[in-house]
Amino acid sequence: MALSNGSAANVASRLQKELMDIMTHPTPGITAFPSSENLTTWTATIDGPTGTPYESLVFKLNFEFPSTYPYSPPNVTFKTPIYHPNVDFSGRICLDILKDKWSAVYNIGTVLLSLQSLLGEPNNSSPLNGQAAELWDKDMDEYKRLVLARHKTPEELDADAA
Amino acid sequence: MAADSAYVLPDDELAQLQKLSGDYQPEITGPLVGERQSSAAITAEYANADPVYRTKTAALPDKYAYFRTCRGDGQCGWRAIAFTYYEALLREANVAKFDTEEARLMSMANLFNMAGLPTEMIMDFAEDVFGLMQKLAQTLRNGEGNADDVLLQTFNDEAESMSIITFFKFLASAWIQTHPNDFAGFVHGDLKSYCGNNIEPTASEIDYVAVAALAAALIKPTGFGLEIMYLDRSAGEEANVTPFVQTTEQSGLWQPTIRLLYRPGHYDILYKAEDFPVPVQPVPEQAPLHVALANPYNDTFIAAPSNVDLMAMMPGLYSTGLGQRWPSVSYDFDATPAPQPMQSYPPAPEAIAPVTSSHQEFVPVHASPAVQHAPANHHSIQLEAPPINLTMQQPASTTLERAALSLERPGPFRPSMYELEHMHALPLQTSIMKNSHYNTAHFLNPDFQPEAWSPEHGSGSKGKHRSTS
Repeated sequence: MALSNGSAANVASRLQKELMDIMTHPTPGITAFPSSENLTTWTATIDGPTGTPYESLVFKLNFEFPSTYPYSPPNVTFKTPIYHPNVDFSGRICLDILKDKWSAVYNIGTVLLSLQSLLGEPNNSSPLNGQAAELWDKDMDEYKRLVLARHKTPEELDADAA
Repeated sequence: MAADSAYVLPDDELAQLQKLSGDYQPEITGPLVGERQSSAAITAEYANADPVYRTKTAALPDKYAYFRTCRGDGQCGWRAIAFTYYEALLREANVAKFDTEEARLMSMANLFNMAGLPTEMIMDFAEDVFGLMQKLAQTLRNGEGNADDVLLQTFNDEAESMSIITFFKFLASAWIQTHPNDFAGFVHGDLKSYCGNNIEPTASEIDYVAVAALAAALIKPTGFGLEIMYLDRSAGEEANVTPFVQTTEQSGLWQPTIRLLYRPGHYDILYKAEDFPVPVQPVPEQAPLHVALANPYNDTFIAAPSNVDLMAMMPGLYSTGLGQRWPSVSYDFDATPAPQPMQSYPPAPEAIAPVTSSHQEFVPVHASPAVQHAPANHHSIQLEAPPINLTMQQPASTTLERAALSLERPGPFRPSMYELEHMHALPLQTSIMKNSHYNTAHFLNPDFQPEAWSPEHGSGSKGKHRSTS
């Protein structure tokens, strides 16, 4: 779908609105802020949900918004290395609402909340990381060990990038 | 074993494949909503299709004189209903109704709340729904007479069009979820997840359940009618018509009926000739009246009923884009006898005549677009036509070209000895796909490319250019 003239302005005004919402009504456990001037790239974080192998870990994500947003989903990737059945080793995510089940009323906040719940409830029937899907059901201790082995704190990430 | 080998594919490669498949979009062309045109175009489109389609489409123009295309981008059903809803408001031409409709749809916020949907987000999209209503009502109030153009232009702006469609998707979803007794029997699983998976996603095409929901939530309360004609290969002489909503008279006022054409996977819009009551034989003196009509270009289609069918039988002479109607309009108004040979032209293909005589009759067909542009005709157009349409007039060369291209198809015309050699090598269009105007091998396609058949390619190599909606 290619939106005609004026769509860039539509995307910008919609993202501006989302930014306002996020700043005036912050949700505990998630953050998001534009990382480019034209608002089409954002950096976000989610806290690992309590009671899951990801508890007390913080994950950094990257959002890229197409010119057809919100009629097409943003491209969302994990910047923090994560061991999870539905995320591959490049950080790409398999989640239906980021693909064919995307709806124009979803926004950055709902996507982040969905990703947070995906951490605690992986969809093991269509894994990108088959080993993780198997271990989730069979050997949770080993699963946790691999989660921690792969994880990097935001500070470590920044140090790597520098 | 297959699963195992899939397992060892590197993640990168898998992701790449996933991306390719996720990003794949079939080629889609044409305006989001097209100009109203003679439905004989549909008959011509199926001229080489299987007999069931041929029979059904041959009977179509008698009942439904006009149709309008919607782009097959997955939204066509939603777009068709949304567009015709506004168009019905325009056809009723009751300015006050725009206000009542806005108030009524505004109150649907309650429905969204009841269904547990994100009302605030949805009402953002409603702003475009109401914006168009206000714009159309204002145009009617000012008597500018170009409300139809405003509507068509708005629906051809993809962002506005999508915004309106999004609101109607959620209206359908909320209606279904708040009327479980009406819908639970038609849906697998619970209504909430059904709507979340099949109605609300941007990529969801309209389904029967959603049509029924919009019929009840959007159309019925307005008093408009809604009927859908199903054109498929089921047995029968004519396409089946399902009336979803009957018109209900409101304070004695006539109510328009919305008519859609459904072909498996795709919706377009249909009209009956009487949907557009206009003077039968307009003369220049009546011109000011036409301009004041809500549908300024309607009279162009029906101006000379004795000619209309013949005109429409000619592939390539019906409109294929914005504003292309005017050349043939001027034809209808032509005071000179030049086009007369057309009337003696037999419309039925069975009447085979010697090639030489057919070619002689053919000449006027080629020449007619040029004739239309004779200075005298231009003069008469300028007297009658609203200025906006004049600016959209197509160059004569385009019309000529299309008329010429269309000769390649076996239509209602006999072969001409002037046909070029290579035209005989063109393949018969045997599959349904090839008869779609989304196929570049179809003469209605803006990127028309005659397809040369060769044994290596076999048939169906173009089959991927399918309508996906």
